[in-house]
Amino acid sequence: MVESKQHWKAWLYLSPAIILLLVFTVYPIVNTLYMAFANGYGMMSAAGGQKFEFGIENFKKVLEWGGFLTAMKNTLLLCILTVPISTILALLIAVILNSIGPLRRVLQTIYFLPYVTNSIAIGMVFAAMFNITGSFIGTENEIVYTSGIINNIIEFFGGTKVNWINPGSSYWANIFVLVIYIVWNALPFKILILLGGLQSVNKQYYDAAKIDGTGKFRTLTRITVPLLSPLIAYIVITGFIGGFKEYSNVVGIFGESMGPAADPGRLNTMVGYIYDNVAGKLPNNQGKAAAAALILFVIILAVTLINLWVSKKKVHY
Amino acid sequence: MAKEITVKQTNIGMLASRQKFWGVVSMTLRYVFLILVAVTVLFPFYWMIISSLKTLDEYRSAVPTFWPQTLDFKNYAEAFEVANLGRLFFNTVYVGVVSTILSIVVTILSAFAFARLEFKGKNVLFAGLLATMMIPGELFTITNYITVAKLEWLNTYIVLIVPFLVSVFYIYLLRQSFLQIPNELYLAAKVDGTSDLKYLIKVMIPLALPTIISITILKMMGAWNSYMWPRLVANDEAHTLITYGLRNAFTDASGEVDYPVQMAAVALVSIPLFLVFIFFRKYIMKGVSRSGIKG
Amino acid sequence: MKKVLAIALVLVVLSATLVACGPTSSGKTEIVFYHTMGQNLRDVLDRYIVEFEKLYPQYDIQHKQVGGYEDVRDQVNSEIIAGKQPNIAYCYPDHVALYNIAGAVQTLDEYINSTEVVERSDGATEIVGLTDEQKADFIEGYYQEGAQFGDGKMYSMPFSKSTEVLYYNKTYFEENKLTVPTTWDEMEEVCAKIKEIENAKGNTDIIPLGYDSEDNWFITMCEQLNSGYTQVDKENTSNQFIFNNDANKEFVKKFSDWYAKGYVTTKALNGNAYTSDLFTKGKSMMCIGSSAGASNQIPDPVGGKYPFEADITSIPQIDPENPKVISQGPSVTILKNANKDEVLGSWLFVKFLTTNAAFQADFSIASGYVPVIKSTMEDPAFAEHLSGANGHEGLVALSSLVCMEQESAYYASPAFYGSSFARDEVGLLMQKCLVECSQNLDNLDAFLDQVFEAAVQNCIQAIS
Repeated sequence: MVESKQHWKAWLYLSPAIILLLVFTVYPIVNTLYMAFANGYGMMSAAGGQKFEFGIENFKKVLEWGGFLTAMKNTLLLCILTVPISTILALLIAVILNSIGPLRRVLQTIYFLPYVTNSIAIGMVFAAMFNITGSFIGTENEIVYTSGIINNIIEFFGGTKVNWINPGSSYWANIFVLVIYIVWNALPFKILILLGGLQSVNKQYYDAAKIDGTGKFRTLTRITVPLLSPLIAYIVITGFIGGFKEYSNVVGIFGESMGPAADPGRLNTMVGYIYDNVAGKLPNNQGKAAAAALILFVIILAVTLINLWVSKKKVHY
Repeated sequence: MAKEITVKQTNIGMLASRQKFWGVVSMTLRYVFLILVAVTVLFPFYWMIISSLKTLDEYRSAVPTFWPQTLDFKNYAEAFEVANLGRLFFNTVYVGVVSTILSIVVTILSAFAFARLEFKGKNVLFAGLLATMMIPGELFTITNYITVAKLEWLNTYIVLIVPFLVSVFYIYLLRQSFLQIPNELYLAAKVDGTSDLKYLIKVMIPLALPTIISITILKMMGAWNSYMWPRLVANDEAHTLITYGLRNAFTDASGEVDYPVQMAAVALVSIPLFLVFIFFRKYIMKGVSRSGIKG
Repeated sequence: MKKVLAIALVLVVLSATLVACGPTSSGKTEIVFYHTMGQNLRDVLDRYIVEFEKLYPQYDIQHKQVGGYEDVRDQVNSEIIAGKQPNIAYCYPDHVALYNIAGAVQTLDEYINSTEVVERSDGATEIVGLTDEQKADFIEGYYQEGAQFGDGKMYSMPFSKSTEVLYYNKTYFEENKLTVPTTWDEMEEVCAKIKEIENAKGNTDIIPLGYDSEDNWFITMCEQLNSGYTQVDKENTSNQFIFNNDANKEFVKKFSDWYAKGYVTTKALNGNAYTSDLFTKGKSMMCIGSSAGASNQIPDPVGGKYPFEADITSIPQIDPENPKVISQGPSVTILKNANKDEVLGSWLFVKFLTTNAAFQADFSIASGYVPVIKSTMEDPAFAEHLSGANGHEGLVALSSLVCMEQESAYYASPAFYGSSFARDEVGLLMQKCLVECSQNLDNLDAFLDQVFEAAVQNCIQAIS
């Protein structure tokens, strides 16, 4: 009796969650599969009573055409640059931070600060720091009021100003700014995790190394990294997953035009491409959006599996 | 910590002064590095604040000033007006509070069912829920947009609250906390004839409070920082949330832009987050280290 | 404490039901109209709704401001999907093309040409359709916009219009004995002179011309040159984007040279700030912007005195004998409805507003938009408004006057699903070329070929 009453109760307790999940999570999974394989699916067409054939047209279009490929290239590039840089930097910071006495708590708190910011809002601050205020930048008739604080610093050390994000800026200058910002944004989480790991590492390993006379660098590569390897694997995987879903950092710096004013869309990402096709100017493209979302899912899944496979071999548990 | 000990040990041991010298140098270098990193981390915040206090003319002067010549608080008033921040604050707090309360209730009920009650299919259902965490949220967004359009929920508060009310991750997190509470307590309560709900409220919730607080803060921060869903489904003046409202009020970030006002708006949006961080640092850092998701 | 659970459940369920708030039933046929009007325009509309409902008491007009144009589009879109669209909506041609994918737009020909007679409550009768005088009263270019969908049918009625005009700093032009340009060649000369004058004074931060809308610029040039922008081709949709041609590359090349010389900037290249900002601050001497934005072109008075006087004229042309200026601003479209009475009522209301000189006059005075029928000029209130069209405090009225005078110059681009994308693409192309041509001088033609081709491809990909 008690058992069956528990059944009834459990389902009652779970009902709000389950109803919402059915509508907003389970159904979307099924429907995304449907839309992705319904050739040329669009919600306006569907409302008009159009029937769709099944096939892989949407995937073909998404993969053959420029928009998504540009987005994929940008996303991959940002991932490949930012994940290793931020991981290595975070490791370095965490190890050194762990080796000092005074100020450690203060510094740890400071390093965590970027985490509790709004990435769109602070992106606007970075944009301000890299922006040249003026017009016609890079032409003979350029009008410059201020070159921005970063350029001011470069000029202070004798360099010449760089057009980072203004109209006429180069793709690589844009990428550079994005990498700086994304790394700045990604460090806190990674430092937090690694520092937590370091603090739970058994000190005997280091004492042993000391007695053996192992050098600092060797200690780092031979003892610290292997000991932290599960955590490193974890932050690399979450880094890649987050990296493939990159969107808001680019919006923060460049706005929704996803690129400098002279070349909007140049820095679009995969997630940006999906959103472009959900609503707004092209509200009849959900088939392509769904196909792109599935491709993104497969990529993330693949990268995660590869990472897990690699870490199985390399990770020292 | 480890290094500290090694340093002491060296002191105790025979050690040459040469070694001591290098120890000091290395420690100095470490501090220099760490402080440089700290400066890099803090600089954007500093620049945001001082830029927000400059006049436009001072901001646009070719030689930068690192402290405003005159503190110009007008920018804040103007930012409030240009970006309609009052309305944005209200919308965001309203949506944040309501969705957090509802979300916590739903999460607690579900986590309790998974942690304490026995029913057929429990493990399968739980595994199924965890599996959905693998899927990127963008995949849900497409259909959810169509769903809410059909429900005529666009540009309402409901659309900002209901669709993402349930987080499988929070259920998972809370279930873990609940599981740490010894089962004996539950059985004893049963014998006493205490109802499940009473037990949940009197015993489990207080014991799992740190986790619940972490979830609350993360959920509130999530509302504050959410961008894409609000932008898609509620972009009219009456329902815009703060992040989209901010970006939308200042669409461009390069060229001829009135940065002091823009930076004032950014500062106003960032300050509540800093305050939350100062007061709840412990919970946030704990929550984050377990979740690994931003906001 | 069970209450907590109960409340939570109720809240979740409630939130689902709360949204649907039923319409009021009064025995009248309710007609819903979505627009973007601010309070002052809604007041004007309300007055005329009262008049309409007096004539046709069987109808109850409900109207609602739904943000800006794109908000109306998104709202109507989602309501079409839910099958609950309004009866009448403010529209741009490409919105109509979009709604039409779902087959949701009512074609108006059967109403326009109907000779059926309806009785009004004042005892008079009128035909449902438009009389010949009424048809002839519309400004041709505005009226034709409703029939730009490739099948010759009418899908929308012009409601209130605007165009682009050239604002210039009259004081500056007089002081420096400059003539106001009427062609693009003259424009180039004037820009060069202004640059020369200001550089001599050491004012290197002067930008002679600001052009707010890159896409309008491109499309208007296509029209003036008759070089081809878009066309409707229902058989082969890829064939609709015909702007990749040599004549267009030529003008893009020319204007990019202007940019490199510091003659001109645009809204996007000006940090997304309207170039009227530069104009009113005296940093620009000319500004091409919307005729509806005349009030933004008046400089702020300093110590009770205006720093300069602004004036207004038609935009430069390739051929002043055969001028072309863009027609923009809202039209209204009627959406299909199973209840034929609602459709008829919607049409009667639309007809009432668009053929009514008094309404057109009041609306124009309140909004700065241009009336769509010529007889508005004879309306006493409008005549009085126009009589104030001198000095730059009368700039708004002056803008209406300039717009009415160039009545034969209006063009509207073809509309189809994807036409808004073509508009976006040529705007982006213009921005890109203005800035990047000077970086690619070595292989400029190849660069232009590639940029134009990419823009066409983007359009094609967006719609298929």
